[in-house]
Amino acid sequence: MENLLSYIPLDISLIAENFDRFLYGVWVTLNLTFLALLLGGLLAIPMAIARASGHRIFNPLIQVFTYVFRGTPLLVQTYLIYYGVGQFDVIRNSWLWDPILSSAWWCALIAFTLNTAAYTTELLRGAIADTPTGEVEAAIATGHSYRSRMRRIILPSAFRRAIPAYSNEVIFMLHGSVIASTITLQDILGVGRWLNGRYYLAYEGFITAALLYFLIVLCITWAFRWFERRYLRHLVRRDAAPQPTEAPKPVA
Amino acid sequence: MSDPAALKIENLHKSFGNHEVIKGISLEAQKGEVIAILGASGSGKSTFLRCINLLETPNSGDVWLAGEKMRMKQGRHGETIPEDIRQVERMRARLAMVFQSFNLWSHMTVMENVMEGPLYVQKTPKAEAREKALALLEKVGLSDRADYYPAHLSGGQQQRVAIARALAMDPDVMLFDEPTSALDPELVGEVLGVMRDLADEGRTMLVVTHEMSFARDVSSKTVFLHQGEVCEEGPPAELFANPQTTEFQAFLSRMN
Repeated sequence: MENLLSYIPLDISLIAENFDRFLYGVWVTLNLTFLALLLGGLLAIPMAIARASGHRIFNPLIQVFTYVFRGTPLLVQTYLIYYGVGQFDVIRNSWLWDPILSSAWWCALIAFTLNTAAYTTELLRGAIADTPTGEVEAAIATGHSYRSRMRRIILPSAFRRAIPAYSNEVIFMLHGSVIASTITLQDILGVGRWLNGRYYLAYEGFITAALLYFLIVLCITWAFRWFERRYLRHLVRRDAAPQPTEAPKPVA
Repeated sequence: MSDPAALKIENLHKSFGNHEVIKGISLEAQKGEVIAILGASGSGKSTFLRCINLLETPNSGDVWLAGEKMRMKQGRHGETIPEDIRQVERMRARLAMVFQSFNLWSHMTVMENVMEGPLYVQKTPKAEAREKALALLEKVGLSDRADYYPAHLSGGQQQRVAIARALAMDPDVMLFDEPTSALDPELVGEVLGVMRDLADEGRTMLVVTHEMSFARDVSSKTVFLHQGEVCEEGPPAELFANPQTTEFQAFLSRMN
């Protein structure tokens, strides 16, 4: 084992010594990413409904929002919130400043949340618009109210359709979260940068970070494969579905 | 005064843009009557059916369900809109519809499809809804498919599920919009068989169809639409034996 390790041009012991820092980095990354996904997702649902229904007032407003947040880099958005907002006395003197906008963590969370909300809104809007017209008509003809058919038919159908595309959004958000390291936060990449800065050993820090991101993506992919198996059963081809063991009964 | 008609439609008009598709149709269905609506494509028969439960909003005309009038009013731009959407929803729940393309909810199993209306529109307790759904699936010969998803069934089976879903609402009137037109010929029989049973039970049905044999043998009244108007109507035996208008004669010779 000693011999084998000596062939790897990496200072493994240095990584091992600092592994608790990396674990803390994993916690910061996961915490920021999944909180942003949760909050952004919750924001996206009503916005997507308003977009899909073509609400006279909200639809254009939300469209401007998604254009802005999908049209500019996440790094720029994060800088504008972290460095930009503090330039205004009004904000520095307000209740928003002390616990929230003066903290890098909160600024990253806000930027990430708004960014993923914009992408998820458009993704969900498309999925809602793709609900088969006939299924919506069947819900109307059954006597479902607008709210009830949205809740019972349209959203459950749209959420399922959105699962494969949303797995990409989750992975992009995870990778996008490295931006937290540029505003002083010790996420996974932040720890890698710290290691590089302190020992001038680039590979040790960055390869460890890359491996950790890779492992998280693997878990996300597995989770989504499970979701798809569970929630997209109805789209699986017929010959792959359980086959009847007896002949169909004659018509009553 | 005798009982009001199960369904009464008075002087219904519907235009798409400048094109008038329904030019004043009136129709009455007594309880237990089966009315077959025939007509060439473009005669407005599907649009007429969809105006009854307001999937299309008619420009004018009244719909009465067991004496209750669907209340409409003028919108801001002069268009006709429901006065009370809750009333429309209540009436839709009593007017079940079976579609040409089945329109089952694809993310729900057969069982869930049939239980949906009773559970979430009529607020029936779950055990009761389940029991009723099972009985209805038995009736259409699909109790062994309760846990299947619609995509895993044949067209004929899907349409029978759709009929069970409609029946689950205990509707006053059932609207069938070309229920066999999307089916392979060998699957038409199983769906028509279920519909015959319903007619025999005394269900009130409006059936837009191309199946001449169903109109002739099952309906109590046949209506022939031509260019958005009732061209001929009457008991099928008389109508088919002795078509009065050249339009209906031409239609019949095309269909046979």
